[in-house]
Amino acid sequence: MNIETIIFLVFGITAVVSAVLMVTRKNPIISAIFLILNFFTVAVIYLLLKAQFIAIIQVLVYMGAIMVLFLFVIMLLNLKENKKPSEYSFKKITAILISILLALLLGTSVYFGFQGKQMNEVAEKIGTAESLGRTLFTTYSFHVLAAGMLLLAAIVGAVMLAKKKFE
Amino acid sequence: MQELTLKQTLNSLSGFIPETVLIATVIVCLFLDLILRKKSVIVAVAGIVGLLVSGYFAYLQFGMREVIFTGMAVVDPFAVFFKILFVVSTIFVIIFTISSKEIQESTHHNEHVYLMVAMALGAFLMASASNMIMMYLSLETVSISSYILSGYTKRIKRSSEAAMKYVIYGAASSGIMIYGMSLIYGFTGSMNIYEISAILAKSAVTGNPVIVMSIIMILAGFGYKISSVPFHFWTPDVYEGAPVPVTAFLAVTSSAAGFAVMIRFFAVTFLQNNILLNGKLQIIPGINWTEIIVVLSVASMIIGNFTAVWQQSVKRMLAYSSIAQGGYIMLGMTMATQQGLTAMLVYLMGYLFMTLGAFYVVILVANKVDSDELVDMRGFGYKSPVIAVFMAVFMFSLAGIPSTVGFVGKFYLFSALIESNMVWLALVAVLNSVVSLFFYIKVLKYMFLMKPEEELTPKYQYGIGNYAVLLLLALPVMFFGLYFAPLVKIAEYSAILIGLK
Amino acid sequence: MLELNYFLVLSALLFSIGVVGVLVRRNAMIIFMCIELMLNAINISLVAFSSFLGNDSGQIFVFFVLTVAAAEAAVGLAIVISLFRNKESLDIDKINILKW
Repeated sequence: MNIETIIFLVFGITAVVSAVLMVTRKNPIISAIFLILNFFTVAVIYLLLKAQFIAIIQVLVYMGAIMVLFLFVIMLLNLKENKKPSEYSFKKITAILISILLALLLGTSVYFGFQGKQMNEVAEKIGTAESLGRTLFTTYSFHVLAAGMLLLAAIVGAVMLAKKKFE
Repeated sequence: MQELTLKQTLNSLSGFIPETVLIATVIVCLFLDLILRKKSVIVAVAGIVGLLVSGYFAYLQFGMREVIFTGMAVVDPFAVFFKILFVVSTIFVIIFTISSKEIQESTHHNEHVYLMVAMALGAFLMASASNMIMMYLSLETVSISSYILSGYTKRIKRSSEAAMKYVIYGAASSGIMIYGMSLIYGFTGSMNIYEISAILAKSAVTGNPVIVMSIIMILAGFGYKISSVPFHFWTPDVYEGAPVPVTAFLAVTSSAAGFAVMIRFFAVTFLQNNILLNGKLQIIPGINWTEIIVVLSVASMIIGNFTAVWQQSVKRMLAYSSIAQGGYIMLGMTMATQQGLTAMLVYLMGYLFMTLGAFYVVILVANKVDSDELVDMRGFGYKSPVIAVFMAVFMFSLAGIPSTVGFVGKFYLFSALIESNMVWLALVAVLNSVVSLFFYIKVLKYMFLMKPEEELTPKYQYGIGNYAVLLLLALPVMFFGLYFAPLVKIAEYSAILIGLK
Repeated sequence: MLELNYFLVLSALLFSIGVVGVLVRRNAMIIFMCIELMLNAINISLVAFSSFLGNDSGQIFVFFVLTVAAAEAAVGLAIVISLFRNKESLDIDKINILKW
């Protein structure tokens, strides 16, 4: 077992455990903190995949921006902790069973569908900011344009919906 | 993957004029709104002018067959057909917002105009995207604008509730969709649907679970946009909660855009291009996606029509009716023939006018009685006979009564089904149409035959503009119902996608 | 050595946990977080494919997924705020004027 496999196992298991804890906690703030832990472990997984730029973006955007927004809204709304015990209804149990089935189905089909592939040697080169930036602003410049429109619509909408009164 | 040079970019931009005009329109409307700082028709007029200009440039593109931005998008008659459809529907919906009390009494100024134009832009990109990343981005542009629009009247509880449900369903199902896309990418190593198709045709994929999983997951994303049955749970609630003009917009533009991207994705990716056998396009062996579509389509028709019968709210009824109509339209994909595609386009064009018309009548009724319940429509036929007659036209067309455009669409669909030996499917669809007649007629029964408790004497007054808009919507329904040759000809011409010959 | 399918199985597991959360949890904030978890799982498999195939389209896709996730979170949270002003609750079982 080499060092990479050990890192993968440690962070992969942490990712799964923190995801489970995130889903099961009652208090939204604790959930959010477990989600941040999950995002951090995933950033390490990206480094294992030699996608250095995506790893940094993950930390900056997901942990730095999106999760802060979540925490901010939770604190702004001052949500009270749900005191009532969680009941296991029929609906919940079916949902859990369906998801376990989904996990088995997806897991086995990707495990056997993509067996025995080794890391490509160019992986190290394509993950850098330089190479990704070049592709993004040449081949995918059209997408950058479309993403700009999407963000404009989202900005207008978020301000419009969250503002108390328009004056 | 070639790099994009400046010359290629300039060439691509010449095929991108309609979209550029729309982007300019969004920005102009945004600044006009900031300058005016009050509710004003000027912004709406600016939006309509921008859409008209964009529609004109789109019309000029008819006949072009080009790949732009290094294979990220294509300009072909199919895309242009949908672009014109989106322009027409967006213009009508912006006109609706001017006469809708709900929108005019909301606390906002004119944000709805440029959000609608932005949504039309997203729909344009959906119709022309030939790259999975572009498909996802444009689908999300449409979705995000529609989340905002359905929560537009934020003082009203049911509107923000509708937005909440919409955003949860939308985000989850587009997430499922991109998981499917990532599997296809991993299998073929490409994001371009033409390249994917070529690779899939070469590799033996029979019974590969990865491909089957990914098709089902991608259908979750598209199915949510067209509100096909297992993914339809948001539809009735969002349609009921959102302001009526927005509902009309979701029912027409958003679902037509869903059909555009779904047809292009499935027809290009999972058909063997350029191989015709007995006039039928060949499905890539081992990927029986048409069977999945048959199941979804039949389920949509049955659940949509049978649930619509019990509804007491006209908006909810129209929601289930649009689920059922989506089921009919999907039938066109099940046989993978050129005829099927043509019938889908004919049906969609008719669906545009009749659905918009029905929703406009709902707006006009809601302006007077502040309700969308069937019970409150009682006596409307006496208080405003002209509008009630228009409603009758739209309802008959939705049900598929001859001499309306709804009949022409259904006729073409069913005959295409029979020609490719899928008689049982045609039979199911016809039986469903009979059921649908029941609840479409029910609206008319409430309007004409049932009398309300209060008196009938003060007749409702409507402006001449309202009648003009209704006439503009009803004329195509009648005209294309009787003289459908030009519509069919355009649809036949548009049903030929780039890469499918 | 690490193989492609290890990463894919991790991604499938995280995705399924996200789906459980969306189906089971009733708090709108936590549902949004579960959707972020799903998108994150998808990003793992996209980056894995990209590195193992030596093709950068996957990492570009991750970029746009991030963009959309940020936009969706902003709009979604704005809707949460406007709903909370109306209802004083984020329990989606109590959001029941419309009947699901």
